[in-house]
Amino acid sequence: MAASATNFTNEEMLRYSRHLIMPEVALEGQQKLKAARVLCIGAGGLGSPVALYLAAAGVGTLGIVDFDVVDSSNLQRQIIHGTADVGRPKVESAAEKIRALNPFVRVRTFDARLSSDNALDIFRDFDIIVDGADNFATRYLANDAAALSGKPYVYASVFRFEGQATVFDAGNGPCYRCLYPEPPPPGMVPSCAEGGILGVLPGLLGVIQATETIKLVLGSGDSLLGRLLLVDALGMRFRELALRKDPDCPLCGKSPTIHGLIDYGEFCGIRGEETPNEAVVPEVTPESLKRELDEGRKLVLLDVREPREREICGLPGLFIPLGDLAERVHELDAADDTVVYCKSGVRSARAVTFLRGVGYRKVRNLSGGIDGWAARVDPSMPRH
Amino acid sequence: MIRVILPAHLSTLAREKGELEVEVGEPVTQRAILDALEERYPTLRGTIRDRVTWRRRPYVRFFACGRDLSLESPDAPLPEAITTGAEPFLVIGAIAGG
Repeated sequence: MAASATNFTNEEMLRYSRHLIMPEVALEGQQKLKAARVLCIGAGGLGSPVALYLAAAGVGTLGIVDFDVVDSSNLQRQIIHGTADVGRPKVESAAEKIRALNPFVRVRTFDARLSSDNALDIFRDFDIIVDGADNFATRYLANDAAALSGKPYVYASVFRFEGQATVFDAGNGPCYRCLYPEPPPPGMVPSCAEGGILGVLPGLLGVIQATETIKLVLGSGDSLLGRLLLVDALGMRFRELALRKDPDCPLCGKSPTIHGLIDYGEFCGIRGEETPNEAVVPEVTPESLKRELDEGRKLVLLDVREPREREICGLPGLFIPLGDLAERVHELDAADDTVVYCKSGVRSARAVTFLRGVGYRKVRNLSGGIDGWAARVDPSMPRH
Repeated sequence: MIRVILPAHLSTLAREKGELEVEVGEPVTQRAILDALEERYPTLRGTIRDRVTWRRRPYVRFFACGRDLSLESPDAPLPEAITTGAEPFLVIGAIAGG
């Protein structure tokens, strides 16, 4: 990345002085940072520290793409937003904090969902893509768009106490598809909303992403390209695993079959399912369940969440955490009409699939889970 | 005993915390470890390998001693450090949280 002939004001010289006195950065490196254009996908748990530290470091142009608004449940980890920002578009809140931190940064906001229709256009004006998305579809989209644009893709993802970080660059090493050619089927891997996330963990991983981004801009140090860093915050252990480019990768292998962006919702929704029958999970909506209960229909309600979740709220009935279901399945009667629920309907769908697979045919999944019940049937119920 | 580290969501399914240990007879291979895991933790069946083809899921990878063994034969003997328990057999899974 060529440094432009950027002149710094005295105020900037003072602001960046701790960089300028290091030979690994110095004036030349700081000029590269000022000339750099970095796009953050998501202003959430990862995007917050990424954007704040890159702004503080003096990255000249920061793009932020996010369609979401700030929610109270974000504030435990998304430190770029505050209580007063609840309800505001995340890009608006984030841009305000970045400008307050460093007015020398040009902020470009995209209040939109990254999609196959806009990704290549948005990526065009940036040099490095930093992924702080929270779903598989956006991650495959970001990877493919970065590879097709010939740009490095700084990756991290988090779940509960664990994180993964690396740098993908299809032109010089592996891409995300070399590591995971296909996403898990819906419901196989819980989201942070389902499984939880230690609030500081995206901070840790986001700072690693910011570090890798700065190194890429400076052209210094050893990047994580070709190395997957695993972070276990509970044990505070860091492991490094060697990654290889997959010669059969459909995107960057020897005979690629992906030459443009695809429908990522479909890709993440269909691939990986074992058989069509397994994918069919009979469901009942919260409103329909309420109606059936009011009509006096005999139903068994089965909660498959974890004990900590049941302490917060629940419906009368059986409680068997998903992980115990195989051992305790005998506690259920196959003759009963059973409705299985979890927080949002993902784990319970897996429980229904399991139960139907072992002969329980009269089981249905509560779509939207207990959260849907609380939102649409019983607003007095605490949510988590 | 063979040490195994699972991704968090699979540890939850197995009702275990942290590292697991499974007994595996000689020769110690990927297939032998996964068979032992699934025997002891039936809820893991279908999560790491396809229940029909027994092939590794594309969103899961196997590592040992820092090396990616995912594309190697499931019947290839694993490094001695795994068989002696000096190093764990790592199952890594795709996560998307951000």
